[in-house]
Amino acid sequence: MRELSFEGTTVRFGTGRSALTAVDGVDLVVPQGQVVGLVGESGSGKSTLAKAAVGLAPTSGGEIRLDGVPLRSRRDRRKLQLVFQDPHASLDPRMTIGESIAEALPGRRRHAARSAEVARLLELVGLDPARARSLPSGMSGGQRQRVALARALAAEPEVVLADEITSALDVSVQGSVLNLVRDLQRELGLTILFISHNLSVVRYVSDVIAVMYLGRIVEAGPADAVLSAPKHPYTRTLLDAAPAFGVALDDPVPADDARLDTEAPSPHDPPQGCRFHRRCPIGPLTRPERTICAETDPQPGAADRPHRAACHFAAEILEVPAR
Amino acid sequence: MGREQWKAALRHPVGAVAAALLVALALLAVVAPMLWGDAAEETDPAALSQGSTSEHLLGTDALGRDILLRVLVATRYSLGLALLATAICVVIGVLLGVLPAVLGRRAGRLVTAAVNLAVAFPGLLLALFFAVIFGVGARGAVLAIGLAGAPSFARLVQTNVAAVAGRDYVAAARVAGVGRFRLIARHLLPNIGEPLVVNATVLAGGALLAFAGLSFLGLGVQPPAYDWGRLLGEGLDRIYINPAAALAPGVAVVVAGLAFTLLGESIAQVVGVRAVRRRRVPAAEPAPLVAAEPAAAAVLAADDLRVGFPAPGGGWTHPVDGVGLTVRRGETVGIVGESGSGKSLTALAVAQLVPDAAQVTAGRLEVAGVAPLGRADAEVRELLGTKVAMVFQDPMTSFNPSMRVGRQLAEVTRVHERQGKRAALARAVDRLRTVRVPAPERRAHQYPHEFSGGMRQRAMIAMGLMSTPELIIADEPTTALDVTVQRQVLRLLKDVQAETGAAVVLISHDIAVVAQLCERVVVMYAGRVVEELPVDRLGAAAHPYTRALLASVPDLATDRDRPLATIPGRPPDPSDRPEGCAFAPRCEFADDACRMRPSLSAVAADQRAACWHPRTRPLDLTLDAVTGGQA
Repeated sequence: MRELSFEGTTVRFGTGRSALTAVDGVDLVVPQGQVVGLVGESGSGKSTLAKAAVGLAPTSGGEIRLDGVPLRSRRDRRKLQLVFQDPHASLDPRMTIGESIAEALPGRRRHAARSAEVARLLELVGLDPARARSLPSGMSGGQRQRVALARALAAEPEVVLADEITSALDVSVQGSVLNLVRDLQRELGLTILFISHNLSVVRYVSDVIAVMYLGRIVEAGPADAVLSAPKHPYTRTLLDAAPAFGVALDDPVPADDARLDTEAPSPHDPPQGCRFHRRCPIGPLTRPERTICAETDPQPGAADRPHRAACHFAAEILEVPAR
Repeated sequence: MGREQWKAALRHPVGAVAAALLVALALLAVVAPMLWGDAAEETDPAALSQGSTSEHLLGTDALGRDILLRVLVATRYSLGLALLATAICVVIGVLLGVLPAVLGRRAGRLVTAAVNLAVAFPGLLLALFFAVIFGVGARGAVLAIGLAGAPSFARLVQTNVAAVAGRDYVAAARVAGVGRFRLIARHLLPNIGEPLVVNATVLAGGALLAFAGLSFLGLGVQPPAYDWGRLLGEGLDRIYINPAAALAPGVAVVVAGLAFTLLGESIAQVVGVRAVRRRRVPAAEPAPLVAAEPAAAAVLAADDLRVGFPAPGGGWTHPVDGVGLTVRRGETVGIVGESGSGKSLTALAVAQLVPDAAQVTAGRLEVAGVAPLGRADAEVRELLGTKVAMVFQDPMTSFNPSMRVGRQLAEVTRVHERQGKRAALARAVDRLRTVRVPAPERRAHQYPHEFSGGMRQRAMIAMGLMSTPELIIADEPTTALDVTVQRQVLRLLKDVQAETGAAVVLISHDIAVVAQLCERVVVMYAGRVVEELPVDRLGAAAHPYTRALLASVPDLATDRDRPLATIPGRPPDPSDRPEGCAFAPRCEFADDACRMRPSLSAVAADQRAACWHPRTRPLDLTLDAVTGGQA
């Protein structure tokens, strides 16, 4: 297991007026043996970043490195394995789960060795090895996601990228898959980029949390620090919006301010200055004197701020009261 | 296509006849030349150009050869050539079709463009063109027909490959390092096999006809060889002397062509029509007598609500199996459950929106003072149209994409209250403002796709507010939304509820969402209500399933060093529910008592649970001291 790093990674789709920069100069390090959780809204580019790493989306700038070595060929990229969101779509309906897993095994092996390895992997993800010969159609969502995890591990990856792997599952199943991810990570010392829109889920498995907004990482740091003392107002907004027991909808949070935009801006036409300023509870819409937010992009210089926050007023944000 | 489907194709009468014909033809093709090959070549100078005689049933040709025998013997050559042409067509078509998937993006586009150009040429023109190039004769004709059909087959393959190539499992295989050729052989082709088989079969019939045509025109098979087309050509010269000489090969061509085409069609039907296949609808269940005692305080009152679907093996299955639900005026009630628990179907049954195949029965069902069961659809719409509003999970599919949002909202009023166009539109704009859609005048003139997910959901709620609903049913209204937008929509629902006094039923898989908005929570499992309790008593949930649900969801306070609580096993299939308590097989507290079905009974004030062993120890939801609920 080694370290995955994104350096100025940029992904653009389309040309002309329909052009869209889904990922815009992302710098992110996934340290060896750690879980980095990547949160953000839909359209923030978090899935695209993972796809770019494994070669399913074209990068148009920057570098993705494994232990400092840029990933260029398909063979390099095999060391990264992606687990998809929907386990009903990510397994070939015509292949037995054993075949699906065996297909990802690197190198040539004898038949017996392959079956033994498949059995070992199935056991590792908590499935009965005898099921290797069954088709995915007979399995539940949670079981299929276990198979998808086994297939990713079969490729002997250096880094596993998990893209919303629990969001298509029922809540009771989600728990068992999260437990599995955590156990596998501890047992095998996996390096994982764990992507989810659900802050609570990310928090449960991650050592480091990175928050993405409109194609950029706006804050990244140790999980506890990011959650207890967020430095970017967007992180704060996400935390405030997460439903929790004992918190009424009526308790106002800063982001409820009626002066703020309720919609995310179009990624085709991101706002000038700070991309979050029209939704920002401490931005120019609530504090007119903060014109800098609408004029100057806070991204340069983010590395010097706490949590690498892309916010001119990163130092000011108060701690979230403990719930 | 599975073995079952092949069998089904053969069970279909048309398919069976076609298959039988093909088998007969194949037998004939193998056997006829062996038995009668020499006899068919034998010239009989004594019987030149005869009509039907006892010796030559269909007469003889100009050299005195028996026409019946020649038609039979020609089966092999005719079918062989047609199949060969089909094979050429399929092979080239598949190669051209998958080429774009193998080549890079640019080269792939070039191939696609070339194929599209080739498709634009009429097939027969191409065939004639190739026949000229390759020279007159069987070889030329085979190549001509094969190549002429290839572009359209290639396009079929391309379209299908493109559809499958976008699936996740293909992406997963690519990430796993599976090579291009293996990707095609293992993932792409097997998953597009069905349409290809169907088309190749139909194609074979077409090739047979085309071949007969070319031979008939003298461009195909040359003497001394002969196929049906040539026999037809020869026979046609003397059609007034011996009609059988022309009719026999003609009939052979038609029969063989039909056999191929019909088989293809019946396979296509079985493959594509799975969902439309007609099931025999079982006899409707006797509806229990509706004993209605109007409950003035309740806007929704349901007892023993059941929704049944015809089961594949006959009889009925009940995804909703005896739900009792009461919602008082102005109350907000949340229905929680996993997929398959029947929560959405319960809502649809209440709103009288279940699919046609479903049958709704209830001991009692009253919605806004109306008992909709047993009334005609139009009457129910009239009565409930303005009193019940629905908000669905995916607002994109609940709006007509080709109609401006304002007009769609206005339509509600125009239909139900017969208002003028302008007044209705003005009200639509007003309602959009109520749900805090920015710039409502401008927004009303936009199409649904110009709205973001959250805005569409607001517009959906505004649509519900066009009249004065007494009950708003929101089915997973925030599941497709981001958390920040989810909060806005939930707050909006709360405001709307406060302003209009309508009762709200919120259906969600997320118990935390329900807890935020609702006063009372109804937990469903396997088509029944297992517990109902006030939100502030969630910490004292009594049913093990409710407790497990609460414990299995991580929140921002979950202890990260402890595994999340999980529920072993999976929910039972509606057609195969256990006797007694449906949760018992997954429940750690189950014992013999649970073989009897528990009914909802009070465990505390306002709290009822359907469990023989209700838990009493409180859960600590905020500090997450949940341990699976040992009492």
